[in-house]
Amino acid sequence: MMRRVIRDRVICVLAVAAIWTLVLGFAADVRWSAPFAPHQRMHMNASAFHVVMGAGVEDDTALRIGAIGDDGNALQSIALDSVRAEDFTVLRYRFDGFPRTLELSLVFRRADAPDDVQVVTVPWPGKGWRSLNMSHVPGWHGQITELGFAENATPQVVPESVAFRPFRFDGAELWSPSWRGSFAALYTSWFGYTPWALLSISALGPQREVAQAPPPVPFVALAGILSLLAVALILHWSRAQMLGGFAIAFLGLWVALDLRWLDDLHAKHELTEDVYADKSWDERARLLPDQDIAQAAEQVRVFVSTLTVPHHLLVASDEKYTFLRLIYLLLPLNAAPLEQAAGMRVPPRDTLFVLYRDTQWRYDEKRSALLGDNRAYPVEPIFESGEMHIYGFRGTRR
Amino acid sequence: MSLALLLAWLLPLAAGVATYAVFNPRREAGWIAATLGYGSVFGMLLAAAATALFARADTAHALLHAAPWLALLTAVVGTLGWWRRRGLPGGTAHEHSQIVDKWKIIFITIAITSLAWRGWIGLREILLRPTFPWDAWDAWAVKSKTWFLLGHYLPFVSMRDWLVHLPAAAFTGPAWTYPAALGWMQIWFASAAGGWIEPLVNLPWFALWVGLLAAHYGQWRALGLARMPSLIFVYLLGSLPLLTTHMALAGYADLWIAALFGMAVLAWLRWLEQRDRSQLALAVLCAVSLPLLKLEGAVWLLLFAGIAGFGLLPRRGRRYVIAVLLALLILSMAVGKLVLPLFGLGWVNIVPHEVDVPVIGKLAIAWHGGALNGVLRSLFAQSNWNLLWWLAPIILFWRWREWREHRSLRLLASLLLVSIGFLLFLFLLTDAARWAESYTAINRLIMHIVPALVTLLAMSCRNVDFGHLFKPTVHGTARASDPPPDPA
Repeated sequence: MMRRVIRDRVICVLAVAAIWTLVLGFAADVRWSAPFAPHQRMHMNASAFHVVMGAGVEDDTALRIGAIGDDGNALQSIALDSVRAEDFTVLRYRFDGFPRTLELSLVFRRADAPDDVQVVTVPWPGKGWRSLNMSHVPGWHGQITELGFAENATPQVVPESVAFRPFRFDGAELWSPSWRGSFAALYTSWFGYTPWALLSISALGPQREVAQAPPPVPFVALAGILSLLAVALILHWSRAQMLGGFAIAFLGLWVALDLRWLDDLHAKHELTEDVYADKSWDERARLLPDQDIAQAAEQVRVFVSTLTVPHHLLVASDEKYTFLRLIYLLLPLNAAPLEQAAGMRVPPRDTLFVLYRDTQWRYDEKRSALLGDNRAYPVEPIFESGEMHIYGFRGTRR
Repeated sequence: MSLALLLAWLLPLAAGVATYAVFNPRREAGWIAATLGYGSVFGMLLAAAATALFARADTAHALLHAAPWLALLTAVVGTLGWWRRRGLPGGTAHEHSQIVDKWKIIFITIAITSLAWRGWIGLREILLRPTFPWDAWDAWAVKSKTWFLLGHYLPFVSMRDWLVHLPAAAFTGPAWTYPAALGWMQIWFASAAGGWIEPLVNLPWFALWVGLLAAHYGQWRALGLARMPSLIFVYLLGSLPLLTTHMALAGYADLWIAALFGMAVLAWLRWLEQRDRSQLALAVLCAVSLPLLKLEGAVWLLLFAGIAGFGLLPRRGRRYVIAVLLALLILSMAVGKLVLPLFGLGWVNIVPHEVDVPVIGKLAIAWHGGALNGVLRSLFAQSNWNLLWWLAPIILFWRWREWREHRSLRLLASLLLVSIGFLLFLFLLTDAARWAESYTAINRLIMHIVPALVTLLAMSCRNVDFGHLFKPTVHGTARASDPPPDPA
C-alpha cells in the first residue's frame, strides 16, 4: 500500500514536470530536436565594437560609453565575417549600469541589403545576460555582415534632456539553437521589464520590444489545468479534493503571476523615480517626455501675449499626438485642431493658424495664402521659429 | 500638506461618510469598510457637485466658495444619519475568533503586502509624474485645466459654434461633449493646491482605488461572505493589473465607472437579498451618477435599470415584458429602425447597417472577425486580468447550484451577460472593432463591469467552506449563516 502511494506520487511529480516542460517548451518555441546547450557560440567582446555615434573608451574587454551623439543616440557596431542568420537563433547581450531612462535597440545589416539598416527594439538589459530569440526578429535571415546596439531616450516616458547616463557594454554572444537558449529568451521575455507606454492604460501586453515570447497567462493557466487533471486522475481524487486542489493551484498561480507583474510595476516605477524624484513640481512640470512640444507651446504663449485682442488658435501638425498635446499645453489659450474645422467657415477677424512640424499645409507666397486640405486661407506669416509657423488673416487687427 | 489641502480631503470624506451613513445607519458586518469606501467616493463626487454649483464664477478659489456648502451638507446629512441611527442596536458584536492555520496567515500576508505595495507604488507614481496617459490630458483634464487657469467657467461647444463665438466666449475640443463631473472635482483639488499641480489634481484616483476595494469588502461582508473569502476576493480584485494601472497612471474616467457600477451592483444585491430600501436608493444614486462620469455610463445605466426593473416584475409580468420586447424588436426589424433614448447620449438610432449615437457618431454594423483575436488576447492572454477570465467560467460552472437557489445571483448574472453581449456587439459588429484590434478601448470598457463580475464570483462562493476546501481539518471557519456580525 505504502509503495503504491509512493509510486503514485512519483508518477504525479513526473507527469506535472512533463506537462510544464511541454507547455513552457511551446511558449519558448523550443526546437524539440535541439541539444540542451548550444553547439556554436560566437562571443563578441564589447571592446571589439566600434563607436559609431556618441563617445566611448575601451575598458579591458568592455566598452565604457560616456556620451551620446548630437541627435540623442549612441551606437556601437561590429563587422561580422558573413554570419549565417539561420545558424544563430539566440542573441545574448550584457551591459552594466545601463540607465532605465534609455531604450536599447539591436542594429544589423545583411549582405543582400547593405544599405538597409535593420533596427529593432530589444528588452532592456538590466543586470546580467539577456537573451533574445532571433528566429522571430523581422529581417534576421541570410548573411549578417554587421551587428550593433543603439541607445536612445525611452520613447513616450523620458525627457531627452535627462535620458543619458554613462554605462558599460560588456559584450554579446550569438548562440546556435538549444533548449538553454530558448528558455533563457523566455525568461528574459517573461521576467524582463517593460517601461510604461501610452498604450499601457489600455492594454498591458503589446510592447515595443520585438521577438517577445507569447505572454505567460495562457500557458500558466493551461499548464495549471492540465497538471490538476493529471494529479486528480493519478491520485484518484474525490470531487472535494479536486475542488480544494483547484482552489489552491489557481490561487498559487494567481499569486505567482501577480508577483511577476508587481516586479515589473516596481521596475516601471523606478524609472519614474529616476526622472522625477526629489524635484519640485515646477522642475517636474518642465520634465515632460515631449519637451520639444512644451518649448513650442511656450513660443506660442509668448507670442500671443504680445497681441492686443484674444484669438482663436487653429493648430495643425502631421501627427495627431503633437497637435493635441500642443493644444493641452497651450491652455487656457483658446486653441483647437485645424482638421476639425474642415468644411466650416473660419472667421477672419480673430483666428490664427499655428503650424508645428506640419507638411500638410503650405504657405504660398505668391498668393499670400495658406493651402491645404482643399482649402485656401488668405493669410500673412506673423511668427516663425524653427518648425513653428504662425499665420494670421491679412489685414486684421492683432 | 497645507491646511487647505487637508481640508479639501477631510471635508469630502466627512460629507461622503455622512451621506452613506444616512443610507446605511446599521452596523452590520463590514460596515466600517463599506462606509469608508462609499464615503470616500461619494465625498469626491460631492466636492465636484459643490464646485460645479458654487464656484463657477471664481474657480481659482473653488474651495472657498464650495467648502461652506459642503460643510453645511455634512452637518445636515450627519444629523439625519444620527437621527436614523437612533433606536438601532448599539455597538457591534465580534466574530468568534477563528483558529487560523499558517497557510491562511501566509496568504493574508502575501495578499495585504501585495495590495499595500502596489498602492504605495501607485501613490508615488501619481505624486511624482505630470499627467501622462493620452486621454487624461486630451479629454478629461481639458475642461478643468481651462476653467481653473481661466478663473471662471466658459462653455465647451462644437467646432461650428466655437467658430461663430468670440474667442473669449467659448471653448471647443475633441472631447467637448464629455461629462464634466471629474473636471469639477479636479478644480476643487487644484484650488486647494493653489495652482494647476497635476499630481495633486490626480490624487483622487488613488483614493478611488482604495475606496473601491473597501466598499466591495464591506458590502461582501454585509452580504454574508466570511472574512477570509472576502479578503481573497479583495486581493483578486485589487491585484488586477489593469485596475492598478488606472490608479497609478491617473486621469481616465474608466476606473470611476468601474467603481460606481460595482458599488451600484453591491447595493442592488443587498436590496434584493435583504429588502433594505436604503440600499436600493444607494444603488439608484450610484447608477444615476454613471452618465455624469463618462458617456458609456449611459449604456450601463440603461442595462442596469433594465435588469433591475425586470427583476421587480412578478413572474407573469416578466413574461409580458419579454413578449413586448420581442414584439418591439420584430417590429423594429420590420420597420428597419430602432430608436432608443439614452440619458447622456441622446436619441440612439439603430438601423440594419448602422448605429447612430449623436455624441459619438455613426458606427457601421458589420462582422469584424479580426477583432475576435483582439478580444480573446485581451481577456485570456495579456497581463490585463491575471487569470480572472480563466477562473470566472470555472467558478460559475462549479457553483451553478447557487444560481438556482439565489434569484439575486441570477439577476446579476443576467446583467453581466447583457453587458458582455453589448461589448461583444460593439467590438465584433461595429466600427469600434478597430479599438479591439488596436487594444485601445476594449480592456477599458471591459474594466467597467469587472468589479461586478468579481462580486458575482464572490457571491457564488458564499457558501463554500473555505477552511475545509483548503484544509479539511481546519476549525471555526465563518459561514454566511453564522451570526454574529463583525465591523471589520
